[in-house]
Amino acid sequence: MLLFLDMAVDWKRFILILVAGASLGLAWNAGSGRGMALGQSVLVQAGDELVAVRAGKVLLDQGALFLDARPRDFWRMSRIPGALPLPEEDFERAFQEAEPRLRRASAVVVYCSGYGCEASHLVARKLRERGFAAAILDEGLPAWQDAGLPLDEEPRP
Amino acid sequence: MSALLAGPRVQLVLRLLLGAFFVYASLDKIASPAAFAKVVYQWQVVGPAPSNFVAVTLPWVELLAGALLIVGAWRREAALVIALLLVVFIAAAGSVMARGIDVENCGCVSLAANAAPSAWPPAWMKGVGWFLVTRNVVLLAAALALVGVMPLSHGTQATGGVASRIHSGERSGASEGGATQRPPDEK
Repeated sequence: MLLFLDMAVDWKRFILILVAGASLGLAWNAGSGRGMALGQSVLVQAGDELVAVRAGKVLLDQGALFLDARPRDFWRMSRIPGALPLPEEDFERAFQEAEPRLRRASAVVVYCSGYGCEASHLVARKLRERGFAAAILDEGLPAWQDAGLPLDEEPRP
Repeated sequence: MSALLAGPRVQLVLRLLLGAFFVYASLDKIASPAAFAKVVYQWQVVGPAPSNFVAVTLPWVELLAGALLIVGAWRREAALVIALLLVVFIAAAGSVMARGIDVENCGCVSLAANAAPSAWPPAWMKGVGWFLVTRNVVLLAAALALVGVMPLSHGTQATGGVASRIHSGERSGASEGGATQRPPDEK
């Protein structure tokens, strides 16, 4: 710390660079046309329906169909009970497999590995294009596990 | 070592290289803030809304500090801002690695689509790993050299640093004692 006190640094300038940079960024975001809404996840677009994990559990108990948008190998290792694989990178094939179940489902929830995972959003949008309403599990599988909700960990072929 | 790093030519080269690197690194992120926000979110260091704030503001701080280094204005302060950013980047990368999170493209310089697994740059260079940490440590050393924080070797090259530190230490001790005990030479 002494080393820092000793430096010939003008702290006002230091702070000013940070504040000016941040202000420029906010101004650019507001005025450039390339900006985005700051308040919500950047993955969320108009039309996306999010469902929190607790509400998701209620839907699961009511018989909602859960779809796992992660790569299929992850689904093989573990999944939300009853979830079908619908990986984003293999959507067309997996969709055909899941379609009969989709037609019968009362409600559909798509999830992936949370945080910056966009797959559940992309899959839900593709389903919407095909006429199936699907909610996105907010913060995905990590939030589900953090809430202590059940996981089916029996390996699948 | 210290004398070498403090030399005007070395300082000029470090300044231009570091400044150019940060200006270059900021451009892609400024052009597509939403793509950068996704990458920040993937690091899982901050939540969705703070990720957006970081994505919107961080590149402009990089651009501003980098530009100041290049033109040579407020160079110590600009270098210190960059040093601060690098410390945050290194800590965040350490956190990502410790938690075993797979970040395909660190989003540090380029936001080029992750789609096609291209041959160049290789995954170990694009992702968050030891290459990134090592690179940032090297950049941090350059930034600190520009701020004027020098490695002290053998005491012989301890120029202004140690001497003024001791001096300021004495002064702060004196001021704690009260105004009446101010040394005569400070009047």
